[in-house]
Amino acid sequence: MNTETLQHPQGAAAGQTHAHDTVESVSGLSPKALHYSRVFELFVVAAIIMLFAGAIHLHVLLLAGDWDMFLDWKDRQYWPLLSPVVMIMFPAALQGIFWTYFRLPIGATVGATCLMVAVSISRPASFMWWTDYPLNLVLPAQMIAGAIVLDVFLLVFRNALFTAIFGGFAFAFLFYPSNYTIFAPFYVPVSHQGMMASMADLIGYVYPRSATPEYIRIIERGTLRTFGDSASWVSALFGGFICIFMHYAWWYLGIAMSSMKFLPNNAKVMALMGTKADVKASA
Amino acid sequence: MSKPVLEHSTSRGKIVQLIQKTMKMLLLWLGLTGLIGIATESAWAHGERSQEPYLRTRTVQYYDVHYDKQSVKVNEEFTLIGRFRLMEDWPDAVSLPDTVFLSAYSPGPMITRVESYLNGMPARQSFSKLELGRDYEFKLVMKGRVPGRHHIHPLLSIHGSGPLVGPGQWIEVTGAKGDYVQKVTTMNGIEVDNLEFYGTARALKWYAVWLALAAFWLLFWLVRPLLLPRWIALNKGREDVLISNRDITVGVILGVVVVAISFGGYMYAKHEYPYVVPLQAGTNKVDPLPKPAHSVDVKVLKASYDVPGRAMHVTARMTNHGTEAVSILEFATANLRFVNTQAPGADKAISADYPRDLVARGGLGLSDQKPLMPGETREIKFEASDALWEVERLVSFLTDVDSKFGGLLFFVDKSGNRLMTEVGGPILPTFTAL
Amino acid sequence: MSTLSSRELHLTQTSDTTSRFTLSYIWFAITMIVLTGVYVSYRVYQQMYGMTAGLDSTEPIFQDIWMRLFYIQLPVLFGIVAVIQIYLFMTRDRNIDAITPEVELKRYFYLTMWLVVYTFTFYWIGSFFGEGDGNWHQTVLRDTPITPSHVVLFYACIPMYLMFGIGSFVYAMTRIPAFCKGISLMHVFAVVGPFLILPNLGYNEWGHAYWLTEEIFSHPLHWGFVVLGWNALSLAGVLMQIISRFRELMPIVFKHENA
Repeated sequence: MNTETLQHPQGAAAGQTHAHDTVESVSGLSPKALHYSRVFELFVVAAIIMLFAGAIHLHVLLLAGDWDMFLDWKDRQYWPLLSPVVMIMFPAALQGIFWTYFRLPIGATVGATCLMVAVSISRPASFMWWTDYPLNLVLPAQMIAGAIVLDVFLLVFRNALFTAIFGGFAFAFLFYPSNYTIFAPFYVPVSHQGMMASMADLIGYVYPRSATPEYIRIIERGTLRTFGDSASWVSALFGGFICIFMHYAWWYLGIAMSSMKFLPNNAKVMALMGTKADVKASA
Repeated sequence: MSKPVLEHSTSRGKIVQLIQKTMKMLLLWLGLTGLIGIATESAWAHGERSQEPYLRTRTVQYYDVHYDKQSVKVNEEFTLIGRFRLMEDWPDAVSLPDTVFLSAYSPGPMITRVESYLNGMPARQSFSKLELGRDYEFKLVMKGRVPGRHHIHPLLSIHGSGPLVGPGQWIEVTGAKGDYVQKVTTMNGIEVDNLEFYGTARALKWYAVWLALAAFWLLFWLVRPLLLPRWIALNKGREDVLISNRDITVGVILGVVVVAISFGGYMYAKHEYPYVVPLQAGTNKVDPLPKPAHSVDVKVLKASYDVPGRAMHVTARMTNHGTEAVSILEFATANLRFVNTQAPGADKAISADYPRDLVARGGLGLSDQKPLMPGETREIKFEASDALWEVERLVSFLTDVDSKFGGLLFFVDKSGNRLMTEVGGPILPTFTAL
Repeated sequence: MSTLSSRELHLTQTSDTTSRFTLSYIWFAITMIVLTGVYVSYRVYQQMYGMTAGLDSTEPIFQDIWMRLFYIQLPVLFGIVAVIQIYLFMTRDRNIDAITPEVELKRYFYLTMWLVVYTFTFYWIGSFFGEGDGNWHQTVLRDTPITPSHVVLFYACIPMYLMFGIGSFVYAMTRIPAFCKGISLMHVFAVVGPFLILPNLGYNEWGHAYWLTEEIFSHPLHWGFVVLGWNALSLAGVLMQIISRFRELMPIVFKHENA
């Protein structure tokens, strides 16, 4: 089976298609089989939502979590760079799996949505209800915009390489503008104690996080080469470049992790588990 | 999941009964969860007791700490002032105070910060290059936010090492949390009614937009057979039934819409907020407080900690370089205070607002109460004895990798002027009563 | 791909393909309800006693509220882990070769339910209590490895997902021919990967005590958890193993079934 590029489908090329063929009819499954297939799919959808809500959230939390969690970490240098680079990994793997086996161009959107659902629950549950922080301190970034475009590129190109190059780049490049609409108000300047601050800095200051001193922020500290406003786009472009490779690598990691390989089991263990030479119906 | 080997289904009635029974047990569990230990008092310290004694006695010594109020309403401000000395004999294990941040410790934003100052300089940002052996004055203005009793400390965080807290005090916040308001006016004239909710509604709307678009795209595919039928069709080479031209058209339109919203929204936000600044990241520099004109030199000759007696014994050679005779007023270390009750002004040494649980009832014992005359050198032994050593976990000398102690010794003259000197040196624990 | 065909599995194909195929969801439902209740009650416990009793490990109240819970839950939860696996093993199908396609199909569904429960437990540690831990440690000062967030996140959530991760593996191995005759590589990753989070705790706490004394969540110290969390992807392999067997079983089981 060609997992990469859509060639002429054998059935269609052989002229064996019918105008009203559907997935169900082509699969040859009976209605009852289709019903239980659907039951199975419901379980799998539930499992995917819960698994990847947990896995992607954990992944993003421990690789770019501070930038995603806190308003006063959303700078111009690291946030537009690290967030998409980290956030593209699981979506790329999910794309590889869903496309390779099912031709479903939803892997990236599934990943982005699972993350959004997970943080939508955990931010209020932890930061608001347990420790009483206002929600605006911990507003998350979204990667849904980039993920949808990434899936569309896959749908159009049907090819891992071009999806990585164009879609991976677009995923990172869209991160900053699509999130700027949300966070723009927080960069408005305010004077505090005679010094300039952004609203994000002020909110981070007003609501104390005792174990998170100001200096711990890994944010833009300025260089002789920072050319003002374009700093964010430079980070976005660089993020796009990294995401091309990150997407490609994770696409294949996803495929590798969906291997159906069985290793041979030891005969003694098999016997212990219940295989027997003599056959006896026990259902 | 099934019973072993034999798979069979139970009747509907039994299923309902079983679920009802499970729910009842769950409610019981939830009720029991609430009953496991009723909190009768709250924790007083906030983790600093687990730090080794040599860290807490030889790094940041807070003194002259004052809380101007111990009860405030929601939105009412209160002030915490004080000073700290960065000890000269700084432990190797703690990073030098090259970058520090002044704050107030509170268990979450029960209080909010209004203003902070370090030696009169605004302290919203961090400071760099503080000097060992010097003193700094801080002022924190805070505001009540969440009703309740909260333990608040001054806090200095040191880059590479973490937080070092000062003496904590209970602050009672009364009122209703919903009344909390933090008004802000931005530099371009935007009036923010309440910082708590600033920007939140806008963000939630945008999240809803993106989630709606994602839901559309996902449902567009999820309503169809997903897994097994598609897998079979793909294996039969029938990709034509898996992706249609309509699917591609819808996808492309969606992609264009997403890009348009992303960049359109960006440009609109730029137009809406034309004046924006990046996150502010510089550090401030500040000179330490000037050194006092006169001082008393203290050299520790011998120090020991009597474990069963819970007493620290220090013999030191003291030289008065001042112009007035001075008496030993107080020994302070790791927020504990031992006052010599026989010294002049001893009754005013501890302010009413200083946390009483950090003041040794036994005070400070001296071998010799005679004042030290100007120019005089004398060996004096002082004893700081109290169960506080144990309560504050400052007695774990056996687990120290660097058995040294530190502290501040305060002297006072007849006029009430105060001098302060660092003391410190190796300390030996003893296990028999001295 | 290396799925095992019916011939290799030496299955007897029942001629009775008109038998009714049904599934029981009762144990799945009960497990999900119970687990939800347990997780919610842990969160309630954190809410009630985190700030009032969890800020200082030297306080007696901390010992009463948090250390007592810690000492009780460790043997109880790990005990349940062991009991489940022993029960599954003791009640194993001792004639796996003889099962009918219908029974085998059912067991694949029940394996799916085990995996759904596993993913449910993974959500709570990876997302809900995981972020709660970051929230707690960046808000208050850390003094020992046993904090209110850790008591739940590490010492409750980990045994809870081990119950169902290892359980799914033992269930499959003791009841499903393909998983008995061969060891599913991806299933091993899916179980062992998260299991290794437990020993990785040792490295994590060592780092917090001696190396990283400040609270950054995105620090290399935590990346062991990240890499181990990537094993979540390997459940896709198990999914494909199930689907490829469904492809063979469903036409047999539902040969003469009508809607």
